Amino acid sequence: MKTLVVFPNREVLYAASTLGGEVTALAVSQEELETAVGRAHKVVQLHGEPYLDAVTEVVYRMASGHDVVILPSTKNAKTVGGAVAQRIGLEFLTDVLAFSISGRVLKAERYVFGNKAVAQIETQLPAVLTIASGRFQGEPPQVESKIERVEVGAARVKKLSVEEKPRGAVKIEEAEVIVSVGRGFKKKEDLQLAFELAALLKGQVGCSRPIAADLKWLEESRWVGLSGKKVRPKLYIAIGISGQPQHLAGILESRIIAAINNDPSAPIFQNCDYGVVEDLYKIVPALIKRLK
Amino acid sequence: MKVAVLVKTSLDTAQLRIRDGVLVEETPLKISDIDRNAVEEAVKLKGQAYAVTVLKWGPLQRRVQEAENVLREVLAMGLDEAYLVADEKLINASHLATAKAIAAVVKRVGADLVLAGEATVDNFSSQIPARVAAELGWPVVTYVRELKIEQGKLVAKRDLEDYVEVVEAPLPAVVSVTRELNQPRIPTLLAIRAAMKKPIHRLTLADLGVEVSPQISVTYRPLAVQRKKIIIKDGTPEEKAEKLLQFLRQEGVI
Repeated sequence: MKTLVVFPNREVLYAASTLGGEVTALAVSQEELETAVGRAHKVVQLHGEPYLDAVTEVVYRMASGHDVVILPSTKNAKTVGGAVAQRIGLEFLTDVLAFSISGRVLKAERYVFGNKAVAQIETQLPAVLTIASGRFQGEPPQVESKIERVEVGAARVKKLSVEEKPRGAVKIEEAEVIVSVGRGFKKKEDLQLAFELAALLKGQVGCSRPIAADLKWLEESRWVGLSGKKVRPKLYIAIGISGQPQHLAGILESRIIAAINNDPSAPIFQNCDYGVVEDLYKIVPALIKRLK
Repeated sequence: MKVAVLVKTSLDTAQLRIRDGVLVEETPLKISDIDRNAVEEAVKLKGQAYAVTVLKWGPLQRRVQEAENVLREVLAMGLDEAYLVADEKLINASHLATAKAIAAVVKRVGADLVLAGEATVDNFSSQIPARVAAELGWPVVTYVRELKIEQGKLVAKRDLEDYVEVVEAPLPAVVSVTRELNQPRIPTLLAIRAAMKKPIHRLTLADLGVEVSPQISVTYRPLAVQRKKIIIKDGTPEEKAEKLLQFLRQEGVI
């Protein structure tokens, strides 16, 4: 088995090591290089500051000698993976939760249909896949790494600049308790209630799409859902969130979901452990009072 | 300026039919949400714009009519016509085959720009735009939240996990967009009526001269996350608050 890892991080290297055989890592950044050395048999360092389509070109050239190409589930990795898979004529499985290989058959699982189902996929090797983060936590064995440098060609897409994202230093995906707010809140100032409750529970404040994307009351790093952050806290409290499928897809792996909404027919009540039918403006202050 | 918009007639996952297993064939189709943003951007560019759709969900016979009905919606939003590739050999999980069919349509009809949603709501695999670009040999710019087209090139802001990247690429190119790009219009009644007369061209793989031999199979299992669904609706707000906190303490989460 020959495995190529692109954009190496610990999880991807660990996933690759479970297959046995030889692992080659293609490191684009300095951080990736440092992570890969001592964890992959061969580490290829890209020379210069290559843009994505130049990286794709190198991966394409390297991939043909490998049985599996594994990448992290980042946006850039998915872009490179899709392009490489098409050029070689392979299937590409993204956000893979678990996989196994027997003979030349790759079996893998991933969430589909707004995370309401798991797809069990079978395809032939060689194949390209990205692994879901948090699913492959282990320490890859220490190995001797041979280091090579590769020159990249010119890119057609040119990076002009990079802009920082406005972010309140919130890593919502790491929070153990999340108090999440939705359209049930009438004004931006009222979100203070949620912040107060979150502070008492030692948690973070999250939100549904409209609060971050449409109203812009909170920064996007707090947005929970299919195209926002996927979270897995011990406790998720949805306040004034109706429970659209895209939002539910982001909270699926929460251990306990509590919901507060004044509309008893809100879909969130079909998808929670504990639901309270009540005006949030009455119950949230009552919760705060008791927790104090 | 000629724009091809990739529009998926995806499964309406809000109405996913589940009995014993997932009933894919009984679940209705809809326009994949983020594709509307791609359609909106294409209409704003005010050139010619058409939809390219590959039917992925069977049964073929029944779905062709359903897909055409669903596609009327993007025609009502302002696209001029639609190309629907419907072929038994495409009713499966192969993204390789899908991208080949899409690229064949784009080559045949011609385009300066291909627009697509960053992902589709049923599979959410985000891979088709990069695949189509590879098949066409064009540059790809993914996850775009701001787009400007000027003199044979595009300037785009890519929305990545930790930062926003501003890039420039020559046309023709493939661009995948996020929901932040724009606000998709709601078609007027007049536009909906006009859309009934716009052409939807049906194509097969033979029409396109494309051959595919997918080596992939998929089964779906419903995710068995059973929530307790204990609903507290009686009592004063204070009593309800107390009850909720009691439950959460029992669970050991607070």
